[in-house]
Amino acid sequence: MSMRRFTNRTRKDQDLAEEIESHLSHAQDANAARGLSPEEARRQAHVRFGNPRATRERVWRYRSIPWLEDLWRDLRFALRGLGKTPGFTIIAVLVIAVGIGVNTAVFSVINTVLLKPHTYPDPQALVELRNTSAQGSFPGANIPKFNLWRQQTNIFQHVAAYDFGGAGLNITGGDHPEQVQGMHVSADYFALFGAPVVAGRTFTAAEDSPHGGHVAVLSYGLWKSRYAANPNVVGSTIQLDGQPYLIVGVIGRGFVTDVPADLWVPFQFDLNSQDMAHYFTVAARLRPGVTLPQANAQLRLAADQYRRIYGKNSLPPDGGFGLASLQESMIGDTRFPLLVLLGAVGFVLLIACANVANLLLARASSRKREFATRAALGAGRGQIIRQLLTESLTLSLAGGLLGLILGFAGVRLLLGINPGNIPRIGEDGAAVTLDSHILLFTLGISLLTGILFGLLPAISASRPNLAAALNENASRSGLEFRNGKLRSGLVIGEMALTLVLVIGAALLIRTFLKLQAVDTGFAMHNVISMAMSMSGDRFQKTAPVAQVVRDGTDRVLAVPGVKDVGVSNCLPMAGGFSMTFDIVGRPKGNTPFTGGAGFYSISWRYFNALRIPLLRGREFTQQDDGAAPGVIIINQAFARHYWPKGDPLNDRIQIGPGAGPAFAEGPRQVVGIVGDTHDGGPNREPIPMMYIPLAQMPDLETALNSRVTPLWWIIRSDVDPHTLVASITAALHDASGGLPVAHIRTMDEIEARNTARQRFNMLLLTVFGSAGLLMAAIGIYGVMSYSVQQRTQELGVRMALGAQASNLRNMVIRQGMALTLIGVALGAGGAFWLTRFLASFLFGVKTVDPIAFVATPVLLCVVALLSIWIPAKRATRVDPMTALRSE
Amino acid sequence: MVVKRPPEAGDILQGTLDMLILRTLVMGPAHGHTIAQVIESTSENALEVEQGSLYPALHRLEDRGLVSSEWGVSENNRRAKFYQLTSKGRKELSAAAGRWQRMTRAIGLILGESFE
Repeated sequence: MSMRRFTNRTRKDQDLAEEIESHLSHAQDANAARGLSPEEARRQAHVRFGNPRATRERVWRYRSIPWLEDLWRDLRFALRGLGKTPGFTIIAVLVIAVGIGVNTAVFSVINTVLLKPHTYPDPQALVELRNTSAQGSFPGANIPKFNLWRQQTNIFQHVAAYDFGGAGLNITGGDHPEQVQGMHVSADYFALFGAPVVAGRTFTAAEDSPHGGHVAVLSYGLWKSRYAANPNVVGSTIQLDGQPYLIVGVIGRGFVTDVPADLWVPFQFDLNSQDMAHYFTVAARLRPGVTLPQANAQLRLAADQYRRIYGKNSLPPDGGFGLASLQESMIGDTRFPLLVLLGAVGFVLLIACANVANLLLARASSRKREFATRAALGAGRGQIIRQLLTESLTLSLAGGLLGLILGFAGVRLLLGINPGNIPRIGEDGAAVTLDSHILLFTLGISLLTGILFGLLPAISASRPNLAAALNENASRSGLEFRNGKLRSGLVIGEMALTLVLVIGAALLIRTFLKLQAVDTGFAMHNVISMAMSMSGDRFQKTAPVAQVVRDGTDRVLAVPGVKDVGVSNCLPMAGGFSMTFDIVGRPKGNTPFTGGAGFYSISWRYFNALRIPLLRGREFTQQDDGAAPGVIIINQAFARHYWPKGDPLNDRIQIGPGAGPAFAEGPRQVVGIVGDTHDGGPNREPIPMMYIPLAQMPDLETALNSRVTPLWWIIRSDVDPHTLVASITAALHDASGGLPVAHIRTMDEIEARNTARQRFNMLLLTVFGSAGLLMAAIGIYGVMSYSVQQRTQELGVRMALGAQASNLRNMVIRQGMALTLIGVALGAGGAFWLTRFLASFLFGVKTVDPIAFVATPVLLCVVALLSIWIPAKRATRVDPMTALRSE
Repeated sequence: MVVKRPPEAGDILQGTLDMLILRTLVMGPAHGHTIAQVIESTSENALEVEQGSLYPALHRLEDRGLVSSEWGVSENNRRAKFYQLTSKGRKELSAAAGRWQRMTRAIGLILGESFE
């Protein structure tokens, strides 16, 4: 239909009026021509035409959209009404804005993490290859697996390998060497993820084979910062670890990986390698039309083939290969916590709705005469409901707009305080942006809340008892009674929802305190760590690495303020390696080896640097080097698990049976037992650990380590270690022949990072709980003050009959607390059922923690009591004479 | 067969009036009064145009782009709004006339049979 119809109505109406006038004149002329007198001619023309106004109205109506006109009228009316009670309007809009704001904030994070599609083309077809076992599945691959997977060309289009995180590379050749995030990838990596190439090309298959030469592909960021986006950089060389690398291409800005990379170098795998070490991830793109079950079935066959080639113990007895959607794998365990948060903000919104509904009910009671008058003048119930709903929708949309602003400011604030590794949100949440999803979501919940809190008061107000309402004496009419019950019900609901939120917050606070109280087993305070990348040809053998460790230790110890320094290939609480082992002389049972344990290569001062206590035997010394007999130190958990009786110090351990040539070495004598450490973070139990001297690693293992992990220098000082960074890095620079260090963090900072997720959740739920508590307090205050005001006469009579002030006060308190207690009972019941969803967030606290379930109801009752106190006090100040006279 | 007297006196079925107006304008631009007169005289006064329907119909046709209008001076030297058929209106007229003829023929067939 043409929109022309609805435009310029007033002008068109005037046009029509003139037209009708013209018609009448012509009719008059025609009548006059038939010989009628001018008066008669005019009269007959008018009679014939009928009522011109009726015609004009008909055309006017045809050009209008009736409901729009009504809406416009209702809207103007609503705005006028709300403007007359600014106090009410401001409070209502603020309450709604808070409710909608927290929802917008949480939804905008969910939108980014869970809903936004990946930037990679056709992300549904991307899968991560995983190792499956009865315990679950985990990513990671070795070269034989990668080679086998590459051959499954009937299910995969591209198969590519890439580093877990990468060891870092050093750009050398300038005045200051710089450590950058270099990522090893196989040639198909860029095709797999559809990376846009802005200059040059990506690696050829020949470049990705052994002796393929030194080549690199730059990221957009590095290209821009180091080469000012000069396209001629392709074909020139970049110095990495003292070696010239040919730059073959540059990747475009749109390509974002989860671990940001500055540049890429090819893996150059020898595909015939028997190296069993898992040190990279493999992803693939499914061929069009291939489903996950089909691909998984094919991988089961591939696992059988793998066993045939590499021996039946090359995979665990129940193990195999499997696939997981890369998208799912990246989101990982973030989905569930985010949905729980969405549930929690849903509660906040419901509380806000109940609160505003309560305010509206109170407002409706004071306007009952207005509605009665309108009803008496002929307004239908539908019209009154429609008008009240327009009012509540006006409020909710205004609240929604403010909420959108609040939510967006809030989400920036929240993501600014480290939310703890939420994937896909970018640096400080930069990827969380306003888009149409969020706008639609906010609009949707605004409309929904407007209807939710507006409908009940509107229906209730549209049933006025006309006679009673128009009558002066209306305070005890049926409407009041009904409203009173409704409002009490709403307050009970608010109390119950608030209690659930506050109990949730209490559980998370208790969790956080428990985590803080955990003794990690090593020194956290005044300990700083830094990473030195050992990439490059210099460090393919153990001796030169050990030399750097020895020199560095000496030089750092000489820095004033430094107490001790240790070196390792992993950092506690930052993820580490694990390794299989045999205890020499023990039967292996059903498995190919005795067991698996965490595996650290360390310098001789490591335990001192971290104050990990030696429980038995001896520590490593500088003499435990490549020429000395192999030694190993285990932790208490290891000793307890594998030596329930007997003495570990009498035994020898063979590391890495069947792990491939890189780990080929003789058995090591157990020389010491050290204390347990919470290596996976305070919420993980200590696991069995093995430590060997860095200086005793097989050369091939050192070469592998140098590729995949940096050396971590851990320095304990007696002053704030930040103040020593400059002198320590200078000392390390000298000791290593100019290697830079990066990732400089204190153990306290690493600890804080580890518990960041828990702190983030705790903070959010505490904010939500406090918001709920505040609104519930306002709610019960409102209901009780209104009730006191309505019962002025009754209170006056009671006083006149001799009731004491304290009696009246207690009566009001009793009634208010009755509502509170019903709400608390319902809320405790609800929380009892709902807190099970928090189980995965908790540490050291049960979901039905007695402290949380006792303390928070008490807290809620105290807050309610304070809110009721004011109206209760007011009840005692009723002047009997005034009260009775107002009858 | 022609509908001699529509169900209610002077009431021309909606749509039919539109068609008649368009047909009238084939002869050239005309104002409302002329249109009504032409319809009535051409039908030998069998059809009576209700004036209250004529103007809403004209405005509807104009909004649909089937006619255009312009103020001018009439044969009586009075100001009048002249309506003119657009090319879209011409197409609509031939379509409507076709529909009408098919319908009257169908109705005629039925009535003819039942009279036999």
